[in-house]
Amino acid sequence: MKQLLAAMSVVLLLSGCSPKPPKTVYPRLNREAETSGLLSWNQRSSWNPRSGRVITSWVNPGGTMTTLYGDDAAVNYARSHADGAYPAGAKLGAVTWKQQEDARWFGGRIPAQVASVEIVTAGGSYARYEGSPLTAVPGDDTQRAQFLLHQRAAVMP
Amino acid sequence: MTRMRLLTGTGIALLLIGGAMQAYHPKLESPPVTAEIQVPDEVKQILRQRCYSCHSNETKLPWYDNLAPAYWIVRSDVREGREHVNFSTIGAKPAAVQRGTLFESVNLIQLGSMPLPRYLAVHRDAGVTPDELVTLRHYLETPPVQPAAPAPAAAAETQFQHWIASNGTPIQVQPEWNGVPFLPEYKNWKPVSSTERWDNHTMRQIFGNDIALEAIADGKIDNWPDGTVFAKVAWLQQPDGKGGITTGAFQQVELMIKDSKKYASTEGWGWGRWRGDDLKPYGKDAAFQNECISCHEPVAHSDHVYTMPIGGAQ
Ligand code: HEC
Ligand code: HEC
Repeated sequence: MKQLLAAMSVVLLLSGCSPKPPKTVYPRLNREAETSGLLSWNQRSSWNPRSGRVITSWVNPGGTMTTLYGDDAAVNYARSHADGAYPAGAKLGAVTWKQQEDARWFGGRIPAQVASVEIVTAGGSYARYEGSPLTAVPGDDTQRAQFLLHQRAAVMP
Repeated sequence: MTRMRLLTGTGIALLLIGGAMQAYHPKLESPPVTAEIQVPDEVKQILRQRCYSCHSNETKLPWYDNLAPAYWIVRSDVREGREHVNFSTIGAKPAAVQRGTLFESVNLIQLGSMPLPRYLAVHRDAGVTPDELVTLRHYLETPPVQPAAPAPAAAAETQFQHWIASNGTPIQVQPEWNGVPFLPEYKNWKPVSSTERWDNHTMRQIFGNDIALEAIADGKIDNWPDGTVFAKVAWLQQPDGKGGITTGAFQQVELMIKDSKKYASTEGWGWGRWRGDDLKPYGKDAAFQNECISCHEPVAHSDHVYTMPIGGAQ
């Protein structure tokens, strides 16, 4: 009889109360990785690189990750040329995030807070923004601008 | 008094039914252990204790699991468990496959999916303890003795030259075995997140179509609207020689297309994966999608979507 009851309660338990899943499996936006603040491109206009399409991405030494975006002129050029000689005025934007372990996948690192946003116009200027909200960091860095202009596009057939 | 008699009657009836149930006791085979997983002792110990009852040929059941009807359920779990992962034979597979299974194992444990929740409800102390989890994670964080050879840069170069020369001319791509179509426009969608996967040495971008972006902007991400599509692109990691990692050769693109009616039998999503720069549909038949669904199952509460989207991509 005891055995039978044990078996019966096993069945009841099997059909009913299972342990609750952890919080991580419920829907969540990655809010901390959003860019905040208006990126003023120059006196006349502003451009949010995250409204662009992807050219490529990379991981920097020291635990940050970058996605390079472009406007239509930049993306169309990057996907058909290897020389980085973008048409004048094409806009590229590099968003660099600190990394965090993916709470849903041990083995993955995903964006955490934004570390910097850089915007380059081909044949024009370079601007860098940091902080939250993002604020312009003064200075022109030609070398860095060239580096960004010469990242080749990631293959997307 | 009648109440008493009724109870006794019910008791006897249950006893008889219960006893009769024991008559049907199909055998649980124990095939030989041919190639056990190759891991250090402290890791194997944990797998033995927590997982071997369902994922090995050395199943040991406590006495109460040997009683029907519990036995019937456990037996079916064991048979299904062995079919998915068998630590008694997996040693015959390449080291990378064994490691991949362990990464998936750690993730299923962390997300509360393994051991099976319905099993833990009964076997209260059968779960992996926090200390044991640390041991498993630590083992996987330590690089293997022979690190993976870096992806050949020359192959990535050829692939790139070929791709830019095609100048956006679409190639003929077959639909997946389950009929899910390839959508070449994925590359023009906005990215909603990116991943550096150090478990399998890849880089990923996750794209969402306009319907996905709108749902993100509205915060309606618990049940993605029909028409939502996610694309995930993976490239091999290519070290830049200065401590950084760039996107190397294109590896594959995967799609999840939401249509709660059309794809009702596959959790509301149409699953597809196309590999290599010729975008060959993955798998041998439509059963490939079981792989997708079972690995995305732990995030069923998030409508089977792993990515936590970053808003503001419009
Ligand atoms: C009571 C039986 C049972 C126990 C105990 C159990 N599993 Fe499982 N496991 C299953 C079954 C059944 C499946 C297949 C169906 C599913 O995924 O729910 C499975 C599937 C899996 C899969 C593969 C999922 C896939 O994508 O195919 C992995 C990996 C796994 N289990 C790991 C573990 C680990 C690690 C443990 C120990 C910590 C464990 N399991 C304990 C029954 C069990
Ligand atoms: C071993 C586990 C695993 C398997 C198998 C798997 N996925 Fe995923 N999938 C993930 C993880 C983890 C992510 C989150 C992004 C990342 O880390 O790469 C993901 C993300 C995705 C995404 C982006 C949307 C989202 O859910 O985050 C798509 C699309 C996708 N997978 C499609 C597929 C398809 C199609 C298959 C089967 C051919 C498949 N996956 C098989 C683990 C898996």
